[in-house]
Amino acid sequence: MIDRLTAALARSRADYTEIRVERTWSTAVTFRGRRLESATASEDQGGFVRALHAGGGWGVASFTSLDRLEAMVTRAGELSRAVPVDPPIRLADVPPHQADALLDLDGDVRGVPIAEKKRLIEAYNGAMLGVSDRIVDTLAVYRDEVSEYWYVNSQGTRLHELRPEVSLSGTAVARRNGTIEKGLESIGLRRGWSSVQDKVAGFREVAERAVQLLDAPMVKGGTYPVILDPELAGVFIHEAFGHLSEADFVYENPQAREMMTLGRRFGKPVLNVGDNGAAAGLRGTLPFDDEGTPTQDSALITDGILVGRLHSRETAAAMGERPTGNARAISFRHAPIVRMTNTYIAGAKGGGTFEDLIGDVKLGVYACGAFGGQTMLENFSFTAAYGRMIRDGQVAELVKDVVLAGNLFQTLDRIDHIGADFRWNQMGGGCGKAGQYPLPVTEGAPHVRIEEALVGGDVGKA
Amino acid sequence: MIAQLIDLARRRSDGGADALWRRFERTTVAFEWGRLKSAGTTEEAGANLRVRHRGRIGVAGTTAVDGDVGAQHAAPLLDRALASAELGETLDLEFPGPPSPPVPLPTVATFFDRAANASLADLIGIGRWLLARLEREGCRVNVAIERETTATRVANSAGAEGEYRGTGFGVSADVWRIAGDDVLVVSDAFEGADLPSDAALAALVASINSRLDHALRVVAAPEGALSVVFTPAGLSALMLPVTQGLSGKAVLQGISPLGAKLGEQVFDPRFSLADDPLRGGRPASRPLDDECVPSRTLALVETGVVQRFIYDLETATRAKSTSTGHGSRGIFGKPVPAYTNIVVSGGAQHAGPVQLGGGLLGDIRDGLLVDELIGVGQGNVTGGAFSHPVALAYRIERGEITGRVKDAAVAGNAYELWKRVGGFGNDARWTGSRWAPSVRFEGVSVARR
Repeated sequence: MIDRLTAALARSRADYTEIRVERTWSTAVTFRGRRLESATASEDQGGFVRALHAGGGWGVASFTSLDRLEAMVTRAGELSRAVPVDPPIRLADVPPHQADALLDLDGDVRGVPIAEKKRLIEAYNGAMLGVSDRIVDTLAVYRDEVSEYWYVNSQGTRLHELRPEVSLSGTAVARRNGTIEKGLESIGLRRGWSSVQDKVAGFREVAERAVQLLDAPMVKGGTYPVILDPELAGVFIHEAFGHLSEADFVYENPQAREMMTLGRRFGKPVLNVGDNGAAAGLRGTLPFDDEGTPTQDSALITDGILVGRLHSRETAAAMGERPTGNARAISFRHAPIVRMTNTYIAGAKGGGTFEDLIGDVKLGVYACGAFGGQTMLENFSFTAAYGRMIRDGQVAELVKDVVLAGNLFQTLDRIDHIGADFRWNQMGGGCGKAGQYPLPVTEGAPHVRIEEALVGGDVGKA
Repeated sequence: MIAQLIDLARRRSDGGADALWRRFERTTVAFEWGRLKSAGTTEEAGANLRVRHRGRIGVAGTTAVDGDVGAQHAAPLLDRALASAELGETLDLEFPGPPSPPVPLPTVATFFDRAANASLADLIGIGRWLLARLEREGCRVNVAIERETTATRVANSAGAEGEYRGTGFGVSADVWRIAGDDVLVVSDAFEGADLPSDAALAALVASINSRLDHALRVVAAPEGALSVVFTPAGLSALMLPVTQGLSGKAVLQGISPLGAKLGEQVFDPRFSLADDPLRGGRPASRPLDDECVPSRTLALVETGVVQRFIYDLETATRAKSTSTGHGSRGIFGKPVPAYTNIVVSGGAQHAGPVQLGGGLLGDIRDGLLVDELIGVGQGNVTGGAFSHPVALAYRIERGEITGRVKDAAVAGNAYELWKRVGGFGNDARWTGSRWAPSVRFEGVSVARR
């Protein structure tokens, strides 16, 4: 395949050309309630070409029929010439790499019969259903894939990778009369079959919590000290801050650039944030990004000060900074854009335990897990899976409908205590941006305390 | 041919089969931060096959097809579908035959030569025209133009079949204004099957500019149980629980609050809702669904009374009902019930230029106009309760928009609010595939932070 792609590259008349080809085998098994909803095996394949003529914009072509490869290389070149761009697009230098990277398949999912995958997810689904009669519905999904990946560019990079992914997700819906509550379990790994065994406890736990939430009161809306658990803290830093650190947001927007000036204080000295595409074994981890740039650990906030951002080759050249290996595409259907990989709030040395964080909190909210989050740049809203009140330094009753809303800058600045209990959250799902969803990413954090945050629930009940 | 695939499947599966083949070509042009930046093309084709064998359903999809499903592609696809059926769910699914006596499929305009033939230069021209009218001091503009042509064929072992071509045209623009730490984004989009008319593009510009003009001044948020007007775009938070609740799938799962309300007055009597796959010029329109069921306009709510739920073949079989023609399938995975064009009626047509607020602001002493909320679709949507910070909202004082409100959240229960409608606006328009006017609700909780 590499030879075929190299031959196609040689025909391109553009100044820069890159070709990606992917072939993906995937299976998915879905249970809804007691019923097997579907068990499917799919094969998806296709290619992507991107070309750049001096003085032209990007010419991009994607296709499912590999017979069209040569025609698409030509077409991408024509499209680049058709869109004059001034000043011209430049790419930061990246030395050419040749690599044949077979990631650890950890029990290749392609060798496991689909009937076994069905048995596995059926057992996890059964654990949720078995919790209580109050569990009226469940959704349990097993999904895996192995992608064979080829990448070549006209500057000499030649890559071949075999990338595994496996994920489990469970939703338990509890109902009593008109009250409906849910619990979500999600596990996503860049690994294989061996890594998704013995996961029943997590499924049982979310179903039990959904039942408990039926009796839990809605959190009373207001301003509280809020402790985020590592899962929600990770989602928070990804959504609320991470997207602003993606350089495609700032590189051609002077006002945004000013807002994100390196050296600006974003938080108290305890705050350290980064993105690490090279961390071992995580879902957002790959040896190279989709422009052939090696991945790395990039510091974004150090001791509360903005020190870096995430780049593609284009944004790095435009800002006179170095590429960071963050140009990623979800598939051959899309162009690489600046994305996160594994984003984290670092644990604080000597930051102590969860108990240390709540010890002096008289009345606060412990917000746990995430049902979802959305950011409109400086404003964000996150729905926690559940919460617990903190009273006089102790964890107290379960509460529901914990929605955190606020202004990013104010909230980051109010992070006053960070634990030492860092962990990566190996969740499924993924990140969405510019129509590209789901991109495999991971987030990590310890427990994090915000000295004051707005918690919605029954806010505004007048 | 897809017919070959069905023939082969008929011989090897004892309970029949149905299939979809779809091919599309898309051309895109993107202006990033005011500059023409890229042009792209996409060519994609694929087939999805469903079989019923020994009472069980199996599904398989592939993109390893090109102009058509040749014999060399049909056999492996069928093998995978049959393997999937070995573990598949048990279902008495019957594939619908052609009508007897034969009736032609309904006609609906889905293919427009002007859109199909538009050149790259035409697309770039539209972008430049918009940029020239949207750029202003201190703001940056992104514009994306997209044109698509599709060909679809569906067939089943009972002899039903259909094919159609379609075009789609999308124009979206967003204007960014960053002042210090205040980030303001105002956006709008045109979606249609045909090339947008000059009037449609002018309306897009006017819509963005008027919302931007009103947003430049930031005012304090009001607070309390207030009259709140939701624009056609802002209405999503109120519509999502309703459309989810009217899906046969949610009803079957027992999670729809509307599941037991057929024939009951649940909404304001001025509120009617239909799904209409036969609207000419809409990209979601089609003569038949992806399971060979002919399209028809379906009233879901009439004068506030729940009439129907939408079903595909599978959910209809389980609910012992009939498909309403809402089967939707991609290349991978099985069909699911999905809406086409959601049409909200209520309110009058506007005469003259559309005003922000749809003419509903006049007698509001203190209230809010909501254009976009943060986090719509999160949490327990079907239950109806929502609580969202505003992304773009305006304060209304003595019937006038006085400025943009930043730090406010609105909360309520969609089902309760649909009984407290203060009025429907005269500004009905398409937002994506939903046709709706602005709607005013009374007693919506507004909190300041």
